[in-house]
Amino acid sequence: MTSLVTASNVSKSFGDIRAVDNVSFQIEKGKIMGLFGPNGAGKTTLLKAVLGLTDCEGQLSVLGLDPFKQRKELMQNICFIADVAVLPRWIKVSQLLEFIESTHPNFSRARADELLSRTKVRKDAKVRELSKGMVTQLHLSIITAIDARLLVLDEPTLGLDIIFRKEFYANLLNDYFDGERTILITTHQAEEIENLMTDIMFINDGRILLDSSMETLPDEYVELTTSGEDADRARQLGPIYERDVFGKKVMTFEGVDKEKIAGLGELHTPSVTDLFVAKVKGAAA
Amino acid sequence: MIAHQFALIKREIWEHRSVWITPAAVASVVTFVAIAVVVMVAAFGEAFHPEIEKIADATIPDVMRRAALAIILLVNTSVFVMAMWFLTIFYCLDALYTERKDKSILFWRSLPITDAETVVSKLLTAVFAIPVATMAAVIVSHLLNLIIMSVWLGTEGVNPFRFIWGAVPLFDTWAAVFVFLLAIPIWLAPLLGWFLFISAWAKRGPFLRAVLPIAILPILEYILFKSWNLGLAIINRLAIETMPIYDINELASGFDEDHLHSLLEQDISLVSLLDVSGFLTSVEVWAGLLVCGLFLTAAIYVRRYRDES
Repeated sequence: MTSLVTASNVSKSFGDIRAVDNVSFQIEKGKIMGLFGPNGAGKTTLLKAVLGLTDCEGQLSVLGLDPFKQRKELMQNICFIADVAVLPRWIKVSQLLEFIESTHPNFSRARADELLSRTKVRKDAKVRELSKGMVTQLHLSIITAIDARLLVLDEPTLGLDIIFRKEFYANLLNDYFDGERTILITTHQAEEIENLMTDIMFINDGRILLDSSMETLPDEYVELTTSGEDADRARQLGPIYERDVFGKKVMTFEGVDKEKIAGLGELHTPSVTDLFVAKVKGAAA
Repeated sequence: MIAHQFALIKREIWEHRSVWITPAAVASVVTFVAIAVVVMVAAFGEAFHPEIEKIADATIPDVMRRAALAIILLVNTSVFVMAMWFLTIFYCLDALYTERKDKSILFWRSLPITDAETVVSKLLTAVFAIPVATMAAVIVSHLLNLIIMSVWLGTEGVNPFRFIWGAVPLFDTWAAVFVFLLAIPIWLAPLLGWFLFISAWAKRGPFLRAVLPIAILPILEYILFKSWNLGLAIINRLAIETMPIYDINELASGFDEDHLHSLLEQDISLVSLLDVSGFLTSVEVWAGLLVCGLFLTAAIYVRRYRDES
């Protein structure tokens, strides 16, 4: 496996606040890595470091390059959509395509035209005349038409209605992802990408709480719905988090022998959102 | 690299439509005024512009007619020069500010273009694109102005082909005007560099932040050292007459009537009045370019290293 992103002991401080605190991880080629964390957890700072928009301490290598020092080379092979990286509102769609065609060596105008022809985005429209959903379609079409090795998406569907959100991820998988390309994505709507990502990472207070492949997640984490005396017995086995659902106890276990708790209630794999809450609250407790 | 610059400058013209709208608007106003002047002359028989009478006067020598036509074209051009001065300064103040205000900067930075390339393209827009757009408008405006005068002379029974089109030193004037327009941003370069830097740096209100130091520092110098060196240097830069490309007194005397009479046998060439090599070898010009380079480097640094969100 080739590693596209390698971070070892990466930190970034703003004054006294350590936004990213000694973080190490790898993202391998062909993966879709979901990065989750509450607001202010350090997600955006970490993404910015990966994109070379901010410098950091420690070793960070993206596509074998130093992202901060070799930004221009990096940007030939990386694309990103961030909720803050808005397309300029004054530009016409046709002008935007012309500009990218003449500045990006890996951009295919024909592919972008083809992708856009499936949408309602008109070439002679200005970005400001498009709805937010159409702007995102436009942005995704552009990025899909760039033969980039790594795509970074920071809250790409923020503020979009559900139809556009579904369509966005469908297009991402169908048009962009081909097993060769790699995606790093953050979103608040974890459930929307749960079936899409191959790997998952949780970050809180600048530290990584979880870094796992989606395949091994069910082996590692299990949720037990139980009540009464069974609940007391289960509690002895050290769940990382416990919550009440309709008068029953739902406990999240990490690395527990499933046979031991199988008789104590109903077992299932936690959803990403539940697991996230369990990890964050569990770490805080 | 060069292909990038073409694309980037094109983008500047798309975004900052004032680059061509301003000269086009000036051309419209100047043409309207030219029509109004001719109509007034035709209606009241009185020339508001003494030079216009000279053109139609068959008794004066051709050299004076040429000079009179050149003067009319230069008066017309001076409006464009003033407009270009404002346009260049406001463009530079805006160039690196709006991309941060509308938050498109992160999108632009997601493309494989360096910050240096982008900042340089903004300077090149001010130094080349604005003078070229202005020159195009000047040419159109001159032609319209001459056509309007031809129509008027035609109705007066004077042959415009001989008195206007046969006499006007069109290409000499255009060459001189174009050189002059290209020299203006080079002369203003230190200030343009400063404006670009403020445009990249100011979180808000770039105009005040750019203008206040220019106004306050000379006053501080006066309070502290009782001298006006900085103030004079700034005013000297802002004024176009002080450009070391021509001697304004000599230029004015070239059109002085007495002087003209003594030059009856000679042709006046505007181009020959410009001292391009003197301008390009002037210490003042190079010192200005150096200051511009320093501010430009600072602007690139700010765009490159400052975290915008």
